[in-house]
Amino acid sequence: MIEWRRWAVPLGWLALLLAATLGMGQLDGLFRWIEADSRQVIYARADFLTLLGRHLLVVSVAAVLAILVGVGAAIAATRAWGRDFLPLVSQLASIGQTFPPVAVLALAVPVLGFGTLPIIVALFLYGLLPIVRNTLAGLEGIDPGVMEAARGMGMSGGQILHQVELPLAAPVILAGIRTSVTINIATAAIGATVGASNLGDPIISGIVNGNTAYVVQGALMIGLLAISVDSLFSRLPLTGSR
Amino acid sequence: MIDLIHVTKRFGAATAVDDISLSVARGELCVLVGTSGCGKSTTLRMINRLIEHSEGEIHIEGQQIRAFRQETLRRRMGYAIQSTGLFPHWTVARNIGLVPRLLKWPAAKIQARVEELMALLGLAMEEFAGKYPHQLSGGQAQRVGVARALAADPDILLMDEPFGALDPITRESLQEELRELQARLHKTIVFVTHDMDEALRLADHLVVMHQGRIVQQGRPLELLREPADGFVESLLGGEDRGLKEAALLPVSQRMLPLGPRRLARERIGQQASLREALSVMLWRHSERLTVVDDDDMPVGELSLRRLVGARSDD
Ligand SMILES: Nc1ncnc2c1ncn2[C@@H]1O[C@H](COP(=O)(O)OP(=O)(O)OP(=O)(O)O)[C@@H](O)[C@H]1O
Ligand SMILES: [Mg+2]
Repeated sequence: MIEWRRWAVPLGWLALLLAATLGMGQLDGLFRWIEADSRQVIYARADFLTLLGRHLLVVSVAAVLAILVGVGAAIAATRAWGRDFLPLVSQLASIGQTFPPVAVLALAVPVLGFGTLPIIVALFLYGLLPIVRNTLAGLEGIDPGVMEAARGMGMSGGQILHQVELPLAAPVILAGIRTSVTINIATAAIGATVGASNLGDPIISGIVNGNTAYVVQGALMIGLLAISVDSLFSRLPLTGSR
Repeated sequence: MIDLIHVTKRFGAATAVDDISLSVARGELCVLVGTSGCGKSTTLRMINRLIEHSEGEIHIEGQQIRAFRQETLRRRMGYAIQSTGLFPHWTVARNIGLVPRLLKWPAAKIQARVEELMALLGLAMEEFAGKYPHQLSGGQAQRVGVARALAADPDILLMDEPFGALDPITRESLQEELRELQARLHKTIVFVTHDMDEALRLADHLVVMHQGRIVQQGRPLELLREPADGFVESLLGGEDRGLKEAALLPVSQRMLPLGPRRLARERIGQQASLREALSVMLWRHSERLTVVDDDDMPVGELSLRRLVGARSDD
């Protein structure tokens, strides 16, 4: 019973998202009021379900890559043999985020061509920093007494990592992943400018054609998606306060 | 059992431990004392290779510690530290079972061992087994730390201020328990402390360190009676040394057999220390005490003159 209540809020948001995805057409009247001059007020070049799916796909692929690389690099940089790389790793991650995703897109398109690939690269780089930073903070933040005891008891490096460091750092690492994914759900919209069709399409198309209703629809979908995902993260057992 | 032979440890240019030699016999409780930063913890941590020594040799049962894999060596030695280092995400029972699990004991044996240790350290199974470290008091956490160190029944225990930061009463009861454990289980223990009374009470073998060197080592009474220099003398209590020595000697050593005189009204157990006897005399304004055995039967008497008397006639 209690388990169910825990998930009530994220499920509520997900239901809204689903309703908006499938029922956008029903809001014709509302959008006609916003955008009285246009012949068409509901974005129809692709249906919202497809756009949502592509959006999620791009964000997920970038997130998985960023988690693998980010958590991996932070773990490596906190091992005895990798300590020398610690400053380098945190600097590289910072640079990844200071570099605007739009610039990454501009640079990536000539190399990777139009489509989904450049936006995945841009999101990957942009999402790396929160993950690296939080993983480092989580691992470095473990009570030195706990680490000393773990070593003193005769645990091997791998045992310490899996049984002590990762479980203790998990809440902080997950918080980093949550930030990274939530930011990237919004950022992914710019992928529409390089032909990666996703929930950014209605926004870009609305701006180009001067159709505010399209912009609102895209923004609404992205907002609902971001809130749903963020709310799901907040209910994961490890991120809540203990 | 443990031999340090001309061992030196340098951190960069600084020498933390400077050419020390130390032998701890099997079943002996060796206590390291000294001012802060003198190298006690470093010495202890070199024994389980949390710190690698720079020079000299360290042997366990005649074998160089570098001949063992680090993990194998450490699993053979219990290690308890002041901050306890209990894993906050594990229950008390799981924390205690750590080393047996690393050694791949069967689950039933681990369970039995955890129960045995919790009983030994006065932690009620039903109450504490499922608790997390943050739900324990400082004293309970330190007991769990000691239980975890004992879990795989190691011959050697390394303890770095394991009872630090405890109130005197809890501390004394834990010291008492350690003494009993030691008598029963014959562990070889190296123990670091700041508390001189604790050191004198526990030690079979007392080692005084100063600036990375051993200035004197031996039985506590030897050090009290013949300190090598002013540093040892002041560390062991300066003018208070008389009382510290009295705390180590039992009443039975100085009492006289019952004489024809009437029994003194105030009583003292024969196992009590001379220090306690002196305190009773001061408190009761009495120069004579009747010494009684465990069943409260008079077995002798102790006079103030006897108590402060020359050592030669013990
Ligand atoms: N990892 C390290 N790197 C550099 N110097 C160290 C390191 N560990 C200890 N030291 C130095 O070695 C000296 C001895 O330290 P140690 O921890 O052994 O002292 P201690 O006798 O245990 O002191 P305390 O009673 O305060 O615990 C100190 O000067 C300390 O600063
Ligand atoms: Mg110390």
